[in-house]
Amino acid sequence: MNIHINGQSYSLNHESKITVSAALALYFIEPQQSTFAVAVNGDFVSREDYENTHVINGDSIDVLLPIQGG
Amino acid sequence: MSLTLYGQKLDSRLLIGSALYPSPEIMKQAIIASGSQVITLSLKRQNPAEKSGQKIWQYLQSIVKQVDGYLLPNTAGCKTAKEAVTLAKMSKEIFQTDWIKLEVIGDDYNLQPDPIELLNATEQLLNDGFKVLPYCTDDLVLCQRLYDLGCQVIMPWASPIGTGKGLMNPYNLETIRLRLPQATLILDAGIGKPSDACLAMEMGYDGVLLNSAIALADNPILMAKAFSQALQAGEQGYIAGIMEQRQTAHPSTPTLDTPFWHQQ
Repeated sequence: MNIHINGQSYSLNHESKITVSAALALYFIEPQQSTFAVAVNGDFVSREDYENTHVINGDSIDVLLPIQGG
Repeated sequence: MSLTLYGQKLDSRLLIGSALYPSPEIMKQAIIASGSQVITLSLKRQNPAEKSGQKIWQYLQSIVKQVDGYLLPNTAGCKTAKEAVTLAKMSKEIFQTDWIKLEVIGDDYNLQPDPIELLNATEQLLNDGFKVLPYCTDDLVLCQRLYDLGCQVIMPWASPIGTGKGLMNPYNLETIRLRLPQATLILDAGIGKPSDACLAMEMGYDGVLLNSAIALADNPILMAKAFSQALQAGEQGYIAGIMEQRQTAHPSTPTLDTPFWHQQ
């Protein structure tokens, strides 16, 4: 299956679905030490739901961090 | 000079953005010089493995702590109610605040808010317990609708974001103030110079939110002080009561016993 994280494509040949936690591990290490928030296909997924929310082929994950803003 | 936003009392009527400064240190000094206790910020796609995002976040946290202030996350970049609601929820998780500066943009050219999507997002977020500070156009009926939905704070624009054009339509802004006396009105976006902020305060606005006018000044720290003083001057002028304009001249100097006066 293919998923997208912040627009970057990831191919996973042996899975039909993975948890958000597992998907984030593809993208970066040590997620527990970082400040970020996640949306899957445009819907917010809270931190406590990373383990019980799954992504499947074609899903898109946004990982957002704080920046300066007006 | 105190301002209350959703029950939170603040010492300054200026809300300040954290973007576009020449350096983080100048941003910090400018925010401190402004006296503001409300600092806006945003979220964007980044890889947490790149430490720059974490670094600026830690720096902003230290500034907020230093000024005993509050973060006001925005939903910049959102074009639909769904996007704005999602971003607000993500902001709440990160920043641990139910305040949200709600931006839903309807036009890329002038970054004009989409009033329909804005109302839709406002309703959803208020129902979810957010304290919504909507960025909107200077449309009386839109502001009235936002107030009726339950927004205690409404933030009409002075002019499009980042233009520095000042108060495009003073009549509209004065009318909103007149018609919504109970609403907390913050003039947001398009402010270019301290006199713009002063004018808003002279109209009876409760505060001003700005970023570019300070961050893009030659000397942002000095400009931050100038804005702080302009807001104070405008507020005091409003409280003092501004004289009525008159159509004809009236001499200030007493006319009785005018020197060299002769009966015609």
